[in-house]
Amino acid sequence: MALGRKSTFIFLALVLSLLLVNAATAANIKVGIVLPLTGEQAKFGEIEKRSFQMAAEEINAKGGVKGNKLELLFEDDTGKPDVGRSAVEKLISQEKVPVLTGGYSSSVTAAITAVAQQFKVPFLVTTGSADDVTEKKYDYVFRINPPASEYPASVVTFLQDVAKPKTAVILYENSLFGQSSSKSFEEDCKKMGIKVLTKEGYNKGAVDFKPMLTKVKAQNPDLVYMVSYVMDAALLMRQAKELNFNPKVYIGGGAGFTLPEFQKNAGPAAEFVYSATLWVETVPYPGAMEYFKKYRAKYKEDTEYHGAEAYASLYVVADALKRAKSITPKDVRDALVSTDMMTAFGPVKFVSYGKKTQQNKLPTFMVQWQKGSLETVWPKEVAKKKYVFPVPEWNKRK
Amino acid sequence: MDVFLQTLVAGVLKGGLYALIGIGMTLIMGVMGIINLAHGQLMMVAMYITYVLHLAGVDPYISLFVAMPGLFLIGCLIQHYLLNPLLKVETILPENQVLMTVGIGMVLTEVVRFIFKSDYKSVSTGYSNATFFLGDISFSVALVISFFIAIAFTVAMFFFLIKTDIGRSIRATAQDKDAAVLMGVNTGRITIVTFGLGSALVAAAGSLLAPVFYVFPDIGGPFTARAFIITILGGLGSTVGAIFGGVTLGLAESFGATYISMDYENIIGMTIFVLVLLFLPGGFKRLTKV
Repeated sequence: MALGRKSTFIFLALVLSLLLVNAATAANIKVGIVLPLTGEQAKFGEIEKRSFQMAAEEINAKGGVKGNKLELLFEDDTGKPDVGRSAVEKLISQEKVPVLTGGYSSSVTAAITAVAQQFKVPFLVTTGSADDVTEKKYDYVFRINPPASEYPASVVTFLQDVAKPKTAVILYENSLFGQSSSKSFEEDCKKMGIKVLTKEGYNKGAVDFKPMLTKVKAQNPDLVYMVSYVMDAALLMRQAKELNFNPKVYIGGGAGFTLPEFQKNAGPAAEFVYSATLWVETVPYPGAMEYFKKYRAKYKEDTEYHGAEAYASLYVVADALKRAKSITPKDVRDALVSTDMMTAFGPVKFVSYGKKTQQNKLPTFMVQWQKGSLETVWPKEVAKKKYVFPVPEWNKRK
Repeated sequence: MDVFLQTLVAGVLKGGLYALIGIGMTLIMGVMGIINLAHGQLMMVAMYITYVLHLAGVDPYISLFVAMPGLFLIGCLIQHYLLNPLLKVETILPENQVLMTVGIGMVLTEVVRFIFKSDYKSVSTGYSNATFFLGDISFSVALVISFFIAIAFTVAMFFFLIKTDIGRSIRATAQDKDAAVLMGVNTGRITIVTFGLGSALVAAAGSLLAPVFYVFPDIGGPFTARAFIITILGGLGSTVGAIFGGVTLGLAESFGATYISMDYENIIGMTIFVLVLLFLPGGFKRLTKV
């Protein structure tokens, strides 16, 4: 009997605590976020998660959304599309989130968009940048990040105005992002009248790029354009230096070339390498520098464009939630459509053009490694330092 | 011609390192008859040891002498406490030791990730980027050094197996375990020593690779796969075969990248693997008899 009474008591306590938890969270608006928090892409997942949390703290400190606090529900996709898929299904069916954001790798993001569309829950893509993510006519999918094919927009003007190469070689990581970027850059080259001598992919994590580099060195190109993840990027540059391979200019197409780890691993081989980027803290957007400084003060680490995207994403979501007629997926989606605001990542407005729908358009920038630090050099309006061109040959440097 | 020679040099230098990675696995394979699928992960652990010592200012070539004994110990402990007990257990799966190594590999990766996070680390030294030129052909100083160290270790290993008592016991165990027991060889201890040696050799490869590559928890897997290919190429349990296997794989990858496309690097390795299994099932060992 005593046991019976005890178990009844425990049961009641449990019910009571559940009720209390429910009461405490009832007024919160849940935002579902899928990111790679473990696995190979965890570094970026961490930067984005921290930036989302920073944005949430700021928004909630200012009264949240119509007096309700934002509650972020993070799910780990481990960098795998199938895991991302089940994670987002859980967020939608169990947590009943009215809005989703996040999404780092393109392949995982593509899997999530299909689920979001199927269940009709709006999904604001933070990063996943392969072009076709917003080319499926999904009316519940929005993207703040420009598509991969538009990353080199600033590179194109730089090449036309400054470098003027005649021949090019394109090397890319054999992934959805790499293929998508390299293909569109090849088309850009055609438009500019640059002859593409070789376009070659490689598998991520390769040890030795020398055979491939030797081959393209023999073709003597003016421009080497690389779409690579951070450590492949560093190895490519180190081995290009070892081979004394001197095209007029090395340009990285976003991704790995702007990260501090790239410079740490490549060392002197990183010097004067150009890269396209979507965001640097010196961009002329209100809040960009503040975000960068705040992040560094809080986490004692530097952030980069992925973090800025995440930070801005939550502001866009909060803005849509404020304007939505009710907190239901349908109304939030309708509110997102009419988004027109300024964020630390730049102006956000979802437009449809070409094959793309509900896609944000942003200018891109070019940076160059100079004396071990990353300087914005192009376009001229935002440049903080003069670009170094032509670049000295490897064996003539001190 | 320059392109051809440069490709040849790149392939041979990379092959030397591959040989060192493969030789440990082939040794373990020869004695215990199991494929150690945690091999690349053990190398990754050695690379982290090198990285930590590098932070303390120790040169990777010196930390070789810490990483090797360290991994020898880890290898011995794995064999003694995790693999040998499985021999006594009756299971429906005959290869449960192999499955165990898969698990060990995963645990090593996740433990390292837990400690060091999923951050890319570099061991950059003065010679990481250093090169010298013979004619127009560039040689990476670090890779040339590691090539000769790899050859030295392999030769030392060869004489160790031929000339010393423990070496003879290892070969006896590899040839016929029951007969070895009857001849008074403590085969239990020999398996422990062998796993330790195999781990120490791959640790050497890890320390040599660290300055020219990077350090990351997930880099073990691809190297386990390469070690496996080399073991099959060279012939199970053959140290000389492992050198040939390593260099063959290095050359195949390099020439494939130059004359076909780097896209097919992995396909080329696997194609050779299948061809050897089909047409030369014993690997190079069948040709060299050592």
